[in-house]
Amino acid sequence: MQPPAIRSSAVLKVVAILVTIGFAFPAGYLVWRNFTFHSDPLGVLFSQRTQGPLLRTLRLAVLVSASTAAFGTALAWLTTRCDIPFRRVWQALLPLPLVFPTFIGAAALIRTLNPGGLLSDWLDNLGLVWDVEVRGLFGAWLALTLFTYPYVYLPVAARLRRLPGSAEETARLLGDSPLSIIRRVVLPQTATAISAGTLLVFLYAISDFGAVQLMRYDTLSRAIYTTRLNNQPVSMALSVILLVLAAVVVLVERGATRRYEHAAPVRSRSPVIYRLGRAKPIAVAFLAGSVALALLGPLASLADWSIDGIRLEASGGRDLLVGWDDVWAPTWHTAYGSILAAVVSVAVVLPAAYLVVRHRSRIGTVANAVIVSAFALPGILIGLALLFWTLKTDIGSHLRNTLVLLVFAYIVRFGGQTMRTSQVAVAAVSSRLTDAARTLGASWARRFRSLELPLMAPGLLAGGGLVMLSVMKELPITLLIAPFDFPTLTTKAFNSIEEAFVAEAGIWSGVLVVLSGVLTWFFIVRRADHFD
Amino acid sequence: MALDPPVPLLSVRDVSKSFEGTTVIEDCSLEVGWGEMVSLLGPSGCGKTTLLRIIAGLERADQGTIHIAGTQVAGNGIWDRPEDRNVGMVFQDWALFPHLDVFRNVGYGVPRGKRAAEVAKTLELVNLPGMQDRMPETLSGGQQQRVALARALAPQPTALLLDEPFSNLDSALRREVRTEVRQLLQSTGMTAVFVTHDREEALVLGDRVAVMDAGRIVQIGSPAEIYQQPANPWVASFIGDVSVYPADADGSIAHADFGSIPLLEARHGPVEVAVRPEDMELRSDDSGTATHTVEDFEFQGADSMVTVANPAGTRLLARVSGTQSLSPGDRVCPAYTGSPAAAFPRSDLD
Repeated sequence: MQPPAIRSSAVLKVVAILVTIGFAFPAGYLVWRNFTFHSDPLGVLFSQRTQGPLLRTLRLAVLVSASTAAFGTALAWLTTRCDIPFRRVWQALLPLPLVFPTFIGAAALIRTLNPGGLLSDWLDNLGLVWDVEVRGLFGAWLALTLFTYPYVYLPVAARLRRLPGSAEETARLLGDSPLSIIRRVVLPQTATAISAGTLLVFLYAISDFGAVQLMRYDTLSRAIYTTRLNNQPVSMALSVILLVLAAVVVLVERGATRRYEHAAPVRSRSPVIYRLGRAKPIAVAFLAGSVALALLGPLASLADWSIDGIRLEASGGRDLLVGWDDVWAPTWHTAYGSILAAVVSVAVVLPAAYLVVRHRSRIGTVANAVIVSAFALPGILIGLALLFWTLKTDIGSHLRNTLVLLVFAYIVRFGGQTMRTSQVAVAAVSSRLTDAARTLGASWARRFRSLELPLMAPGLLAGGGLVMLSVMKELPITLLIAPFDFPTLTTKAFNSIEEAFVAEAGIWSGVLVVLSGVLTWFFIVRRADHFD
Repeated sequence: MALDPPVPLLSVRDVSKSFEGTTVIEDCSLEVGWGEMVSLLGPSGCGKTTLLRIIAGLERADQGTIHIAGTQVAGNGIWDRPEDRNVGMVFQDWALFPHLDVFRNVGYGVPRGKRAAEVAKTLELVNLPGMQDRMPETLSGGQQQRVALARALAPQPTALLLDEPFSNLDSALRREVRTEVRQLLQSTGMTAVFVTHDREEALVLGDRVAVMDAGRIVQIGSPAEIYQQPANPWVASFIGDVSVYPADADGSIAHADFGSIPLLEARHGPVEVAVRPEDMELRSDDSGTATHTVEDFEFQGADSMVTVANPAGTRLLARVSGTQSLSPGDRVCPAYTGSPAAAFPRSDLD
């Protein structure tokens, strides 16, 4: 008889290899297709058509990264380490802009801040004139900053909460001033959290499609989208350039984590709270302004759209184009697609997590690297690769317009998010417990069912929740490859915004924001301490 | 069992094991009789826990065979999985299932039909009645220990393996729980193998003690044998306070610089004698012929531990009555008053 540990790890390895191939497939296909297409990426790279979008992508990503790093860190500092009134309320509100997909956020900003919007209406009443136009680089930058800063805020706040006060107290006893303590003691210890969050934002910014599309700022992802039908070679070449850009970011990130690996372990203790003194009203106004701009403003304009539309219909004006069924079906599709993607993601990533944590296998390390890196792959690339695959190959054509293909794309895009939580979950099941169960006569199946699964459940649920939240807000993949009879809240909302059916957009966006709000609350706000 | 079966309950023969080229267990053999309790004693890292895990089937030996109740479970191409060996194990950290209550922890290894009755019976046995609905984290250390014991006993295993079962308890509780566990296992006639690095625990709990060092079993014997007739100076010093003192052997007597010491076995020439401190007396220097000087005096209540040294600086420990008071610098005449001691050829230490 063979011991089950060895037998099951052979099965695990096969599964992990298959999953890894799946995660690598869209990027691999894109590169391969590009060469067989004779699209000449190098030639296109140095052409005018490409340099513009590439430069714009870089310019936007750098600006957004810089502003979110500063903004997110400042918010985290104020709400964790200063004597701000209602600290818990701010801590609960500040991650919430994550509930907005960037295209909805961008649409709301346009509606709120542009001339003729809510703000100018309101200023009109006061007799003031507002003519700043939110669009282009400024608009895309503003939207991305306001709706992605939580990626910096969350890890930095978690880190600041956990930093032991002893180092700061020591610096103080040695005669350092508060400002210099922040610079010399706190910031160096927070640097890893800031840079990790900022890298995530950078990745988000280069892959974003929603905000740049609505703000009409021609970055790579938007150029790929607009050329995909009538100039496929260019679209493909642009995709490869975006792919290389994402890969560079991932490599830089790898290098950076390796360098920071030996950062001192941080233990949880009560942090030092700084007194703001006379600056307190300014700080409160800053927090209130941030929440108003990133959360309340967009919510108000969504409500404004829907209410306007409903009121108009009730008063005998234009009929709303949505009935109860038009809301219910996309809602169901959104929920169904995201739950399916979350469950399958957890299931397919778990074998690799086992290999990494339990068996320390090399296959596990490779699988881990591929799965986690796939998270850097912009959605538009995955959507485009799979779209072309279904159009150009026989095997692919069977999957054209299927839910299977869509869920597969979601998993490749977001499944990597479950890797870390899954590894933590696997590590949480001590091998002593399974040893104990074995000496009590429990088979492999019974051990998995009665011990490992229940003990891993919270971690797996957390990972699945993140995938659900991301899939729910996903736009470019859904836009490109969702089956025709499978409209989701994002595609419905996006199309109505593009076609200027504002009231309908408000209703669909509203439902989406409520759904993602519930998930954000459960999986992000309540677990805020885990983001360090 | 009315009759002693002809085969030992557990038989480990020539077991070796290495991890990534490092030998952890080397040619270990051990037989445990029915109802016997054996302590595996050794310093940390000596391989005793690995040997226990090999017996349980949680590790595979590279060589050697294991028989349980006459049936071969490992070796020569045979390998029974731990879940098929019916051997109970109590882990160092108890490894209670944190998400299951006491009832479901204790009943985990019992078939469903018999579960309720067996769990109630076993909890009674370990003196934890009425605790069935409690979750592990709400129990004290001593209670968790008993739940772990009950969980291992409930499926009525052929033998029980205990890996440092008391090391997670504080020292006051440890002594009490230790006595309880010994009485319980004796009353149920359970065959048990304990792993421990605590010599007192090993001597109190084991009918026999197997002393391990660097992956080998260096001596097996009754606690008294191990203490009084250590196989080598290392065992002598590991099992209790001892002075390894130079002397010249002449048959069953060894002559040291302070006087003579009776020997267990006849030897000749230079030897080292394992001298237990309680076998020494320190007489006051009435005649002015004192050979030793007090270096250190530790009052420990009922008695005191005294370190004395000869002019060459060789040290000797003596345990004297708490009423005898000495100070560093006092001159004393040591005298050996104990039963015959173990001696080893001098080269043993070189």
